[in-house]
Amino acid sequence: MKRGVPLIITFVVGTVLIFSVFIPPMENLGENFTLFFDIIAVFAFFLGGGNLLRVHLTKLSRRKRDWEYSIVTIVGFFFMLACGLFKIGNPGDISASLTAEGSWFQTIYESMFVPLGSTMYALLAFFVASASYRAFRAKNREATILLLAAFIILLGRTPLGTFVTSWIPDSFSIMQIPNLAIWIMNSPNLAGQRAIMIGIGLGVVSMSLRLILGIERTYLGGDDKL
Amino acid sequence: MEHFSLWLAAFLTLGIISFLYKDNAWYKLTEAIFVGLSAGYWFVALFWDNFYGKFWIGKDEHLYLYVGAFLGLLMLLRLIPKIGWISRWPLSFIVGATSGLWLINYFSSNIMKQVQATIMPLFSTQYGAGFNAEPATIIGNLVIVFGTFTGLVYFFFSKEHKGAFGYTAKMGIWVIMITFGASFGYTVMSRMSLFIGRIDFLLGEWLGMIL
Amino acid sequence: MSFKKNTLTVTPSAFSFSLLIIIFMTAAASVVSASAVSGPAGPPEADTVEIVIASPTSPVVSDFKYDDGNSLILTWVPSIDDLPVGGKVLGYHVYRSDNGGEAKKIAELIPGSNYFKDDDLYGDTTYVYHVVARSANSRAASINTEAIQPRREWVNLNLKYLFLIALIIAASVIYFIETAKRGKKLFVRKIAGLEAVDEAIGRATEMGRSILFIPGINDMDDVQTLAAITILGRVSRVVADYDTKIRMPVARSLVMTAARETIKASYMAAGRPDAYNDDMVNYITDEQFGYVAAVDGIMVREKPATIFLLGGFFAESLILAETGNSVGAIQIAGTARPAQLPFFIAACDFTLIGEELFAASAYLSGEPKQLGSLKGQDIGKGIAMLAILLGVLLSTIAAVGDTETITEILKFITKVFTVTN
Repeated sequence: MKRGVPLIITFVVGTVLIFSVFIPPMENLGENFTLFFDIIAVFAFFLGGGNLLRVHLTKLSRRKRDWEYSIVTIVGFFFMLACGLFKIGNPGDISASLTAEGSWFQTIYESMFVPLGSTMYALLAFFVASASYRAFRAKNREATILLLAAFIILLGRTPLGTFVTSWIPDSFSIMQIPNLAIWIMNSPNLAGQRAIMIGIGLGVVSMSLRLILGIERTYLGGDDKL
Repeated sequence: MEHFSLWLAAFLTLGIISFLYKDNAWYKLTEAIFVGLSAGYWFVALFWDNFYGKFWIGKDEHLYLYVGAFLGLLMLLRLIPKIGWISRWPLSFIVGATSGLWLINYFSSNIMKQVQATIMPLFSTQYGAGFNAEPATIIGNLVIVFGTFTGLVYFFFSKEHKGAFGYTAKMGIWVIMITFGASFGYTVMSRMSLFIGRIDFLLGEWLGMIL
Repeated sequence: MSFKKNTLTVTPSAFSFSLLIIIFMTAAASVVSASAVSGPAGPPEADTVEIVIASPTSPVVSDFKYDDGNSLILTWVPSIDDLPVGGKVLGYHVYRSDNGGEAKKIAELIPGSNYFKDDDLYGDTTYVYHVVARSANSRAASINTEAIQPRREWVNLNLKYLFLIALIIAASVIYFIETAKRGKKLFVRKIAGLEAVDEAIGRATEMGRSILFIPGINDMDDVQTLAAITILGRVSRVVADYDTKIRMPVARSLVMTAARETIKASYMAAGRPDAYNDDMVNYITDEQFGYVAAVDGIMVREKPATIFLLGGFFAESLILAETGNSVGAIQIAGTARPAQLPFFIAACDFTLIGEELFAASAYLSGEPKQLGSLKGQDIGKGIAMLAILLGVLLSTIAAVGDTETITEILKFITKVFTVTN
């Protein structure tokens, strides 16, 4: 019962959704699943949000390391909840738009959320530089090829790339960096992308079959007998 | 209020950037603010869009959504240890549905369409045109077909990469490395531009205000 | 005319004269009304002249294949006055009559249109259409189409080849699973990243530090997350055996639930249920970069010895991988997003490329029936490679030569791999 019923549910639901693609009267089942999933996710958030609060309240109560920051997290969480659920500062009543101009929710989003997210995203510039430095050491042939391709594509998108190989005559224009970059994107890059995508497709088919047929059951509690 | 928002944004921006030096109190504070606010934000968004929007507004048209709500309630039974095992049922539903939906989806987009796109005449630009492709196009076509083929050979699981097979697989990984290098080089510039945007904010909007 | 009591007597001459009077009066009235509408008589102005256009012709309605009986296709021959340059037709209106009722406009289309798909129909209703071409000041309607009811098709025959090939590959996966169950040994080549899992966990155990498992930032409706959870089952089994600490911050509540279920089961299977703690998995936030900020903080403060980055990642992949690298952790990464793989390759010790992520759980289990599915994947690759080689060969020959047979074979192969709904 504890493992048998879930396996049957997985099998039935999986099989029905596979065949729904081929049977027109059932073609909306996929969309309906997305709706179901959204609802389930809301309920699951009670577990997640509850866990977030429990972890930080425990940290706070037991004065664990960095407990002071847990206060900030908890206050921020409840404050945002209050602003959004009660629509504090929204023009109009509670049925007004959540992100109406002037609402506390929208103000916090614009003045805090956006700078935080943008700055985290901007850190990528530093990390890409450090990753490139590591890749530049080119310890083996594969790394060298990766480095070379990256270098050509990078240069090809800058005026420097055009300048460096501008002396190459038009009869050998493919060797000019911008043209070489375009060719790399359109030919070997495309080939590699296709090979990876076909492999991924087959991997998904295989894994999905293992899950639907109940061969893969780790998410339910391992390979115990039913 | 606008000034306060600007200073607040600058404070948070610098707090995040300080992480690049090392972990510090400023970053910890900024991180705590980000986690708290964002968790609250997403719950509010989920509530109004998925809960209120689907159940309160036009609820008569969405009676079947109560099935989703039932599954969601079963999920919450996890909180009661004695009957917590029932929460596996909605989980199984999700796993089965995800597997079933994406199986055909990936098969169609990742296998069928990619194979169809790779089938092309090597020496012509269109059918019936004869040998009319330029040398660069012919080489490009050969590289695409050869690269796709050798790339697939690399991913074979049931044969050791030895001998001629191994050599073909080697060429396949080289093609894949070119793909990764191209992807890497392509995104470097966009990552830099993101950072320039933040510097523009700090030096322009923020410091420009106080100087 | 003279009237006699209760009789009307009209003489021929009187009739003729009366007729002339009537004709004269009618003509006069027409002139007067035309003058009243258009103003003083004079030469007509350009914008009052009706632009006469030809109507669209041959409207045909047919059932849209293959659907649930809710769509129809309407085609017509555009008006001859619908020209790419200097045409008088400004567009078309499509009208529809439901069950013989009044025709209502349902669509406005641009000049040059000759096709319209009508959705959201009902299978028990009869529909009749006509198309109206319009100019600046006139309209010209086509004749009505025949009456039609949309039909429901139970099987989408457009996808028959997709079904067939999917069936072949699924059958080969199942065949090799069954073969393996019967005891046949199947060879699977070594995958470096997966061979290193045991060693990576052992390293964390020896150093007394934790393992950090990051299942990506997508929810349970993504196959990559499912793959990560299945791998977690294998990894957590080894973790439970070695009594190593495992930490799993997640960005989705459902993933938290599934991960807890998985790890708990692994500890129970290892005979160590008391060692399991729900706090091994904790929810951070759904926000992409909020999650990354928190995980970065965990990495630099707790300094895990081993980090698994498996699942669906976006731009944050590089931030996580580089931070993990900076704390000296051994990192095993894998994703099915080709755009993020280069960053994992550059920053991590081992990377599972695309398909290897989905094969990982089967590989780590070592079970014959799981490994059999990998053999089935290889059959799929073989089919794809054969189709590509054959297709390229035939299309090359067909393009440079004039061979009908080869062209027919090529058309068939292309049709098999073309997916249209």
